[in-house]
Amino acid sequence: MSETNTRLLVVDDEPIVGKRLKQVFGKIGFVIETYTDSAAALAAMTEKPFDIVVTDLKMEGIDGIEVLKRVRAMNPETRVIIITGYASPDTAELADREGVFAFLAKPFRLDELKQVIYRAMETGGPEA
Amino acid sequence: MDFRDFLKGFPFQRWLTPKACRPLSLVFSQFREVLTANNQALEIIADMGEKLSGEYLFDLRYVEATVEELIAAMRRAIGAINTLTQDQCATLHEVFVSMEARVRAILTKRDDREGPPLLWLAEVETRHWPLVGGKAAHLSELLNNPKVRVPEGFVITSRLFHDVLDLNGIRPEFDLFEQALAESDVNEAQLDMLRQALQEKVLSAEPPAGFLDALAGFLRRLADLGGPPLFLAVRSSAQEEDMDFSFAGQFHSELQVPPQAEAVYRAYLQVAASLFGAKAIRYRRQVFPEGGPMSIAACCQRMIPARASGIIYSVDPMEPGSQKMVVVGALGQGQAVVEGQVPTDFFRLSKDEAPQIVEQMIATKHEALLAKGGMDGGLAMQEVPEGQVEAPCLDEPILLELAAAAIHLETFFKRPQDIEWTVGEDGVLYILQSRPLLITESAREKHQLSEKLEGYELVAADSGRVAQQGIGAGPAFLVETLADLKEFPEGAVLISHRDSSQFVQVMHRASAIVTQVGSPTSHMATLCRELRVPCLVGVPDILAKVANGEEITVDAEDRRIYRGRVVELLTYQATTSMDLHMAPEFRMLRRILREVSRLNLVDPLMQEFRPEGCKTFHDVLRFIHETAVLHLVELGRDDRCLPGGLARRLDLPIQAGILAIDIGGGIAPDAPRDQIPFSAVRSIPFRAILQGMLFPGAWHQEAMQVSFKDMMHSMMTTPQDTLSGQYTGHNIAIISETYVNLCFRFGYHFNIIDAFCHNVERDNHIYFRFLGGATDIAKRSRRATLIATILEAFDFSVKTKGDLVIARTGNLAQPEMERTLDILGRLIGFTRQLDVQMTDDQAVARYAEAFLMGDYGIVADN
Repeated sequence: MSETNTRLLVVDDEPIVGKRLKQVFGKIGFVIETYTDSAAALAAMTEKPFDIVVTDLKMEGIDGIEVLKRVRAMNPETRVIIITGYASPDTAELADREGVFAFLAKPFRLDELKQVIYRAMETGGPEA
Repeated sequence: MDFRDFLKGFPFQRWLTPKACRPLSLVFSQFREVLTANNQALEIIADMGEKLSGEYLFDLRYVEATVEELIAAMRRAIGAINTLTQDQCATLHEVFVSMEARVRAILTKRDDREGPPLLWLAEVETRHWPLVGGKAAHLSELLNNPKVRVPEGFVITSRLFHDVLDLNGIRPEFDLFEQALAESDVNEAQLDMLRQALQEKVLSAEPPAGFLDALAGFLRRLADLGGPPLFLAVRSSAQEEDMDFSFAGQFHSELQVPPQAEAVYRAYLQVAASLFGAKAIRYRRQVFPEGGPMSIAACCQRMIPARASGIIYSVDPMEPGSQKMVVVGALGQGQAVVEGQVPTDFFRLSKDEAPQIVEQMIATKHEALLAKGGMDGGLAMQEVPEGQVEAPCLDEPILLELAAAAIHLETFFKRPQDIEWTVGEDGVLYILQSRPLLITESAREKHQLSEKLEGYELVAADSGRVAQQGIGAGPAFLVETLADLKEFPEGAVLISHRDSSQFVQVMHRASAIVTQVGSPTSHMATLCRELRVPCLVGVPDILAKVANGEEITVDAEDRRIYRGRVVELLTYQATTSMDLHMAPEFRMLRRILREVSRLNLVDPLMQEFRPEGCKTFHDVLRFIHETAVLHLVELGRDDRCLPGGLARRLDLPIQAGILAIDIGGGIAPDAPRDQIPFSAVRSIPFRAILQGMLFPGAWHQEAMQVSFKDMMHSMMTTPQDTLSGQYTGHNIAIISETYVNLCFRFGYHFNIIDAFCHNVERDNHIYFRFLGGATDIAKRSRRATLIATILEAFDFSVKTKGDLVIARTGNLAQPEMERTLDILGRLIGFTRQLDVQMTDDQAVARYAEAFLMGDYGIVADN
């Protein structure tokens, strides 16, 4: 998979997250869509599947775990990366069971996310 | 300054007075508590600074939580230093209270309310920025920039705006208005009603008591500066204006205002009311939706009677990749140009070292906007004399001067600029305003960027770490010593082996900085972020890969360096870089760091080196650290406080007479009680210094021949004259596994080395101070110069004052720290008695050369 045809979706209720990631990944050639509302993001995914989904954990309405579950149900090939300021061991375990590809704690370096996404592009399902 | 004078200002003098000694173990544990608290606070500051590089994703919650942590750490550090010094730094509490209040004001977005209602442009500091608004902040920066001229003036700050709201009972409506604006579902009718009511009330608002008198005072002083009869340009300077958003033409300006307080105040109200103009509000909602409440200041500057005025764009917005600039201009005042009231001349200029006019279209200019000429001020369209109608509004020399100014301002502000200029009747070029030039590029082109970049040769890829994001291009300029900085050309890329805060001297001229070693948390990195210089640190072999003068492009986002000028990247930068800085969390963090991270208090010898001199959190921490170290140093000098049980003699092959006090892990646990061999020293920095002292040839056993005059001189010197006067104690090394505080009195000179060294480079520092000697001041000063020369060669930043040398370095990886400390050890031995031999200025160069070549024998041979 190369950058230029990889479809990336970002959902985070803090607008800066989507804005920044759009800048960073758009520059290197990803096709990227960003949402601050998880319901809208899920609606977009039913239209056309994405290769990689980056989601916040704590959001009003549908939270990150729920996004993960629904994405995996819709398209098991999609890799889901959860970014969060608070990950308790319990949620981490739950997310693991649901097949999350990786967890990333906020604040993080954009380069770290880039590396995780590159790994997701190389491998299939959840990380070992 | 006389030596005695600065000693008076020196805090440790107080500790020379006799005092009951506390148990040393207690003092040491208090000292370590100071270091721990200090380090913790510094780490938080470094962490916040790093987030600002653009390399991180963070949110407002991060900013709030981190500020709370930092304030708690600061309080701990201030508490700890007062415990250690028995409340000799009690004033720090008060100093910090106001600093904390300023930071909290930023968190609660009230930082535009605290400060004076009037401020001279020339006196605006970064901490005033929220108060004076973006345009005035930029102008004040330009006022201090010797390369451009800006008309003098002052600012009516946003403090007055808030006072006017409160005094005239407008606050409740203002709050309602901002609330309505912030809602996602704006009620248009309600908003429109509110804004009209606000406009009306502001226009008829009364000034606070005494304000008009103060304003009249400012106007008198401005008139007294001389020049043509004073009239004013009163222009808006809103909080975010010109900083991150252009707000071009959104607010009101009043020109040719007569210099009476009442008239200027009325003009100010017109400007303030325009914050609630339909146009400005539309702009805010479109460009700046999450901005939060806004206030407005006004910049009041002397009107320049204009021969011609206009705009220059430092990049042609129609063809951003073309390396061309665009000028439009007309006769008279520039308002007619920006509002499209008159036909304008058009010039296109090449953008290189020697810009040239490549295209011009001269308009027929029948009218010009000029002063009416009466006492009441005002401007009016007037007929242009016959001979000037068809002529260009600018002649070539002025046009080229303008082009050079635009290139400079683009490098200065690190983005393409939209600049308003005017040429006075006397032919002098003035800059009236400089703001970011917004260029739009189609999303399609952006998407193809990565493909276009493939055509360029990469010098480095995925290399180094980002200290400040951004993209910059220019000729590489290799800096080997700080002296090279004097030659630094406009717009070049600074390439250096390691980082240095001294680079700040050229940051305004640099388009990017790349270093081979260094970390994104250094002082230099902080300065790069403050001045937004794209910066990569730790790029391996960059010095070998780039030739001096070769054009390169630095992408400090994707950590790539290209050979040549990558026009596509620069265009990309011009069209996108602002998005990031628009985010509210970024702007808030940047404001907070302005109060926190800048270090003003660098020199302990300056008069300001006291609690009251601290301007930022960093200053407070620096003061605390220095005070704690000096406290220990003094303790080390006081025999009464050093019971034999704690100080242990070292058994070295040289006669250095050092006593070591181990405060934790500095000496092997199985070492003998006394006469400790070198092999038992575990302290990393102390061991490195000793290694240098023991280096073959570096230490000279034989005493120098001291002349009768030298001897007399040292006998006549009273103890108050120099610190070296008091040498009744021993040479003391206070050590731990990672720390050394070494206090030497060899003969008549006094030398301190304070160093922290472990595997985290950010924590590492070396502080070196050398003073005094037995001979006359000329010889002693020569030795000081010698030491300074050598230390500079080893990348220390050095200050000398007579026979005093203070040198610092830090933020080095452990191996480099050890190497540097080893050199200091050799230097101590080498220069121990050298002042006697410093008979002429040539000796300085000779001995420096010998030391740098490793020829330590020169001392003994002489």
